[in-house]
Amino acid sequence: MIGLSDLTVVLGGHTVLYDVSLAAGPGELVALCGPNGAGKSTLLRALAGLLPDTPTRDPRRVAWLEQGARSTWGLTVEQVATLGRIPHRDRAAAPVTRALQVCGIDMLRSARVDRISGGEARRAMLARAFATEPDVFLLDEPTADLDPAASHAIMRLLRTTADIGRTVIVVLHAIELALRYAHRIVVLRNGRVVADLPPDQVLPAAAAVFGLPIGIDPSPRLLPPC
Amino acid sequence: MIRWLVMLLAVLIPISLLTGDATLALPDNLIFWQLRVPRTMLGLLIGGGLGLSGAVLQGALRNPLADPGLLGITGSAGLGAVIAFYWGFAAEFPPTLLAGGLMGAGIGAAFLLAFAGRAPSGPSLILAGVAVSAIASALLALALALAPNPFALTEITYWLMGGLADRPLSQVEMAGPVILLGGVILLKLGRGLDALSLGEDAARSLGIPVAATLRMAAIGTTCAAGAGAAVAGSIGFIGLVVPHLLRPWVGERPGALLPAAALAGGALLLAADILVRLAPLMLPLSTAPPVGVLTALLGAPFLVAIARRSVP
Amino acid sequence: MSDAGQGTIWRCLLCGLLVLVPVLHGQAADRVVSLNLCTDQMLVLLAPEKIIALSPLAKDPSLSFVAHEAERFPSVRASAEAVLRLRPDLILAAPYGAQATLAVLQQEHIPIVRISLPQNLAGIRRMTRDIARTLDVTARGDMQLERMDAELAEVPHRDRVVRALVWEPRGFTAGPGTLMHALLRAAGLSNMSDGRRIGLEALLRRPPDLLVVPTTPAYPSLATTILQHPALAGIPQREIPPAMTICAGPFSAQAVALLAQ
Repeated sequence: MIGLSDLTVVLGGHTVLYDVSLAAGPGELVALCGPNGAGKSTLLRALAGLLPDTPTRDPRRVAWLEQGARSTWGLTVEQVATLGRIPHRDRAAAPVTRALQVCGIDMLRSARVDRISGGEARRAMLARAFATEPDVFLLDEPTADLDPAASHAIMRLLRTTADIGRTVIVVLHAIELALRYAHRIVVLRNGRVVADLPPDQVLPAAAAVFGLPIGIDPSPRLLPPC
Repeated sequence: MIRWLVMLLAVLIPISLLTGDATLALPDNLIFWQLRVPRTMLGLLIGGGLGLSGAVLQGALRNPLADPGLLGITGSAGLGAVIAFYWGFAAEFPPTLLAGGLMGAGIGAAFLLAFAGRAPSGPSLILAGVAVSAIASALLALALALAPNPFALTEITYWLMGGLADRPLSQVEMAGPVILLGGVILLKLGRGLDALSLGEDAARSLGIPVAATLRMAAIGTTCAAGAGAAVAGSIGFIGLVVPHLLRPWVGERPGALLPAAALAGGALLLAADILVRLAPLMLPLSTAPPVGVLTALLGAPFLVAIARRSVP
Repeated sequence: MSDAGQGTIWRCLLCGLLVLVPVLHGQAADRVVSLNLCTDQMLVLLAPEKIIALSPLAKDPSLSFVAHEAERFPSVRASAEAVLRLRPDLILAAPYGAQATLAVLQQEHIPIVRISLPQNLAGIRRMTRDIARTLDVTARGDMQLERMDAELAEVPHRDRVVRALVWEPRGFTAGPGTLMHALLRAAGLSNMSDGRRIGLEALLRRPPDLLVVPTTPAYPSLATTILQHPALAGIPQREIPPAMTICAGPFSAQAVALLAQ
């Protein structure tokens, strides 16, 4: 179980989140959607305890993956995944290997992350989160840069992860992925939660947020990115 | 790699003990204990401290150009030592020199890390280091102009080139423990530096106390590089070059670099110092030039090469 | 090069310079400015009543043998404007240093005597007589030289060879042809140096019988810390104040006496 209630965040004089509450329990895959600047990433950071005055989390229980995460140095895929063991203060090989396997990057384990494709590097970063073996995953756009097949593979992995009892909160770029895989979709606009509903009920709110006339068939292909 | 570096040191240390100013003869007892031993120990300690400081600074600041010299830490150590020497009581009480050097280095390092917290981008950090260096050298010129010794400027010009020659054993006893203490502090930062390679937020989310890690990096660098600068002047580029030489061999993980960087820094400075001592045999020189001249001559082109590769 | 040969060259130089100031042959100057530490000292010794100003270094006891006496005279920096304001009718200077200033002063038709600094005792005698003649105080010059010769005559004779080395910060030594070499010889010591720099290690490899080092100055000095190196503890050291040896003059005899002790 992870959550925040009545959170207001002011960054650099701008109020980024107004009075936001969000909670997610074990077994849930929650997608955060909304236009650019809606406050999705800020909310995820707040959940991770990275903003001032937000409760700090046990790093062994909560893994956070930032948007466009990259490494300064040319670490190998395996070294990146092993960073996920830092909260446990070990370098256990078994969870790292499992993480590399579930993220489908095992065959590149000795390759340097700065010499593989953007999508492969993203999966290496995701493997870092899995290597921690946390209860809660906070993932900021883990499918960016991935082709559709790879995106669906990652989302299936996240759904399975939720279904075996973990909590997954994910900021998503593509709403069709959210509609298809999430248990709940939280729609943010201008720092406020405008909807927090299951996929089959969220469309009217999402349509309003994105300025689509109600009644149009929101086929995933026509929807703008959320 | 560690094994190779230890073997390299096992070769270099006897060579250093057997190499004199322009001679290869076996030294007598006095020369061996009073000159060669302190010089070899200082080379190992100062080189190791600089190599380790460079590796830690590059990791902590996530910048391949970070180096205690380029970032002005050794420069401000020199300033502190000079002020302590000409204005303090270093002549009566030698540790003043060390204390002055450490204080100068500490101020320089604290300023840089505070700045790095605000503007982590590579070029701006290096510019901040250039600013620290410029302020340190301007204040140095001012301190020397006001110094009671009319030859202070000449003396310092020579001292700032950095050298290991003719330092008595008492200076090793003074600076050695401080450098070792700094080394111990820095070697413990490996896990934090690994986490920092993903950025400060990611490191924090992995449970690393980022502010404390940067603070320990500043304190450790101050001890490891500042104490050396107080004794031997500014020996440049060891901290910059060593991590880059090691990465192809030990990989880029910052934590893995640390022990190797300490050994390789000691080996590099020792080798440079041996070369400098042999220089009068090969070149028309009457005495050996300061080793800082050689490290700067070799290091500067290296800096250009790294800068071309890493600054976008 | 022999002392005599050097002396000839030096004498020609001085004569050539004196030709530049023919006015001096008529009447002696009364208002004299010295712009060099060494000419400062000669001026103080020979004609203090004619001094308008000395260089600022003349008052530094670590550099000037007559610092105490120089205390009561004004100082002037080597700047054409400052010197012109004093309206000197003679300027004493060295062949090096402040040459731009001297060129300006020469254009203003102020007589300038550039004194070459002697590197041996014969040269000191000639210089003293020549400056005394220029300042029209020949008798005082002779008196100074008589005192110098008396002091030199008292230097004891040595039976055995003592190898001495003048060793200055950063390993500089005084080889043949230098004033220090002449002073060592006059003190009955043999000079080990060939004029090249000698590092601490080379020095310890072939230690001299006597190490002649500059007196540690009163102010902190990085360069002289090497003289406190414990490895030097076994070698007899003789400290000699730089004020005695930077410039040559009749007082050089006292440096000889100090070395000969």
